[in-house]
Amino acid sequence: MAAPAPDVNGRFASRRNFLRLCALASGGLAQAVTVGPQAASIALAQPAASQAGAPKKGGTLRVGFYVEAATMDPHLSGSKVDRQIYHNIYEPLLVLDTSLGIKPGLAESWQQPDPKTLVMKLRRGVKFHDGTDFNAEAAKFNFNRMKTEPKSVRKGEVASIESVDAVDPYTIRINLRRPDAALLATLTDRAGMMVSPKTAQERGPELERNAKGAGTGPFEFVEWVKDDHLLIKRNDSYWNKQGGPYLDRIRYRPIPDDTVKLQSLQAGEIDVIDYVQPRDVAAVKADKNAVVLDVPSLASFAYQLNQTRPPFDNKALRHAVAYAIDLEQIVKGVWLNVGVPSNGPIPPTSWAYDNTQKPIKRDLARAKAKLAEGGKPGGFAFTMTTANIPINVQEAEVIQAQLAEGGISMKVKLVDAATQLSDGNTRNFDMISYQWSGRPDPDGNIYQFFRTTPGASLNWSGISNPQLDALLDKTREVSAQPERKKLYSQVTKILQEELPMIFIVHPIEPKAFSPRVQGYEPIPDGMMRFRTVWLK
Amino acid sequence: MGRLVLRRLLATIPVLLLVTAGVFALIHLTPGDPIDVMMAESVDASVKANLRAELGLDRPLYLQYAAWMGRILRGDLGRSIRNREPVIENVGRRIRPSLQLAGLAMGISLLVATPIGIFSAARRNTSVDRFGTSFALFGICMPNFLLALLLIFFFGVKLRWLPISGYTDPAEELLPGLRSLVLPAVTLGLALAAVITRTLRSSMLDALSEDYVRTARAKGLTEWQVIRGHVLKNALIPVVTVLGLQLGTLIGGAVITEYVFALPGVGRLVVDAVFARDYPLVQGVVLLIAVGFILSNLLVDLLYGWIDPRIRYR
Repeated sequence: MAAPAPDVNGRFASRRNFLRLCALASGGLAQAVTVGPQAASIALAQPAASQAGAPKKGGTLRVGFYVEAATMDPHLSGSKVDRQIYHNIYEPLLVLDTSLGIKPGLAESWQQPDPKTLVMKLRRGVKFHDGTDFNAEAAKFNFNRMKTEPKSVRKGEVASIESVDAVDPYTIRINLRRPDAALLATLTDRAGMMVSPKTAQERGPELERNAKGAGTGPFEFVEWVKDDHLLIKRNDSYWNKQGGPYLDRIRYRPIPDDTVKLQSLQAGEIDVIDYVQPRDVAAVKADKNAVVLDVPSLASFAYQLNQTRPPFDNKALRHAVAYAIDLEQIVKGVWLNVGVPSNGPIPPTSWAYDNTQKPIKRDLARAKAKLAEGGKPGGFAFTMTTANIPINVQEAEVIQAQLAEGGISMKVKLVDAATQLSDGNTRNFDMISYQWSGRPDPDGNIYQFFRTTPGASLNWSGISNPQLDALLDKTREVSAQPERKKLYSQVTKILQEELPMIFIVHPIEPKAFSPRVQGYEPIPDGMMRFRTVWLK
Repeated sequence: MGRLVLRRLLATIPVLLLVTAGVFALIHLTPGDPIDVMMAESVDASVKANLRAELGLDRPLYLQYAAWMGRILRGDLGRSIRNREPVIENVGRRIRPSLQLAGLAMGISLLVATPIGIFSAARRNTSVDRFGTSFALFGICMPNFLLALLLIFFFGVKLRWLPISGYTDPAEELLPGLRSLVLPAVTLGLALAAVITRTLRSSMLDALSEDYVRTARAKGLTEWQVIRGHVLKNALIPVVTVLGLQLGTLIGGAVITEYVFALPGVGRLVVDAVFARDYPLVQGVVLLIAVGFILSNLLVDLLYGWIDPRIRYR
């Protein structure tokens, strides 16, 4: 595919070039699966670099999400949509770049003098939107709040942190309870976001509704009219004077219906949507009124198998199901190739991805052999519990047909999200669908799902494998990436053998924009950061 | 009249008790827990346990129900678990769009259905009548969401005459507000119009066969004078019944329309609350909807007495 070139009038900033870049990015992704994340990062990084044509200030960006934010307090937040807004008004200590590398955010530099200590030097000259300074005391306040605030949802994420000291006004020392190689990546999201101590203390619980003055980000909170819209505006005293922000305002609107959301974009009522359903992707790409960016995500879609009771306490039967399922057919037919078949919980966008391990290929002969090995040569029956949304239902029907060819009979139980969570947490299922939005560090996609954990946890399958536990603990202690990558390869191998989950697909999250939107830099965590965006 | 109202209000108490107990049992016995939903991605068992204890969710069901009833009798509907705002505020915010939508839908359906119903009856078995019947059939059979999507496609996407989704309050900005409500009101109003058309047609045919109509015709009145002066008022009684019954449905049951058009109404509020297992919100909203239903039925009955002097309540 040709690199961006001047068009007939000698301009670079044409729609054709933008589309070329998108195609490059998509092509880059295809290469990335075999070559590694580097190629994808180069391709994806280009949109920002080659946007010639000067960005101009002004305009209101209208964004449509499927649901409203739940709270404006990052320490109390449990929902993905909240994060979309936070990444524009709050800033974390560390940030991700387009290849998921960890870069300075509000922390300029950091060192680890020993595995249980992290020293961070904070950026100077940063002010919260309420005018107070960001400094070590503020950072310390935030960590304490995350650990002690009764309703804090961040406690688990900062569990490895024992205490935080303000060494000097712009240096903090984080003392860890145990080595935690995943901590840096965790600090690129909500757990690293800095809230103004003054505003947090003065406003109390009202902070959840009103975040005026609370962040340091390129945009600041203006108002939130519940069920209608949330408005943020440009922060003209933002510390980073290069590369934005350009937009005057951003207006978020919840539009629950997918079709209506897409039509709103196509009719010009909104400028950005965060997700295009696989079934709509081809049509939207052909539409002149919308530009689609295929953003490979960190997400993972899988089915958890309950190892604590029959039939899936029997490993051979788990394998029988895995070999009877045709992953490629599912990704092609149900996901319409808006996604990549999985070999495990680590997505191809991650540095830890092992492309030498292939996704399980369908093999009916082996499936039958496994059935015999498991003592059920004539097949067996079980129930799949899955969320009652169209793509899940379609996939369940396809799997049902695939398994029937292998002699396995599957019933489908459709449930809503709350029931799914309840069934999962209480292990009341045989096979249950599970979608995880993904974390930048592989630890976030793996540890809590596969480590032996007493009591209620996200380890719904109930897997308890000492070798795996030892490996998982080691991945947290070792900090060098190449070493961790080797460990994660071993983890993936064990997971493919033990099959606590049948991994299906790593979805691509296509985002769609009005052609007026320029300068968007897609980062695979799926979060839409608008600092560099401007409207033509 | 006053005694009637009092008796009716007293009779609502057992109804409300049954409804609230039923809903309470249903929503609590359904698998799923609001804390799990709110903290789906978190593993912190102690935080969840604390939240549950704080909300009293770890106590036996009958105690929770008693506590809730106690608060209701003091006029406190409780707080939503998700956004911790009082239930009353949550509903208050959403009732206005729902009422406006319901009112507009009723207005549109009456405007459309009344002439069709009258002409169907007056020109019985002619092509006008057949059109009316077909219209009614179409209105009943057309699925709500399909009609909504079709209307959005034609008027929003293709013609760009009306906004695709979203709500603007007509009380604040009249024209943009009405524009945002037209398509949803037509969607809701169509099924209602179909019912009204049929009801009006059959009640008019009944009235037209009465003796007093023959007398009126014999007196030399034109057909139109007969209908307007004698028949219409009687024929409208069943229509009033239908409207009264439908009002509750229009307010609480317009969920699909509200979803498709992204309107912040009561229907969406209660369905989202059910999905999130937001117990106080579900219970509070259902209670309010039940009260609304009962009051609108009472209103309809009182209206009867005014419209039809023959009806007298003892």
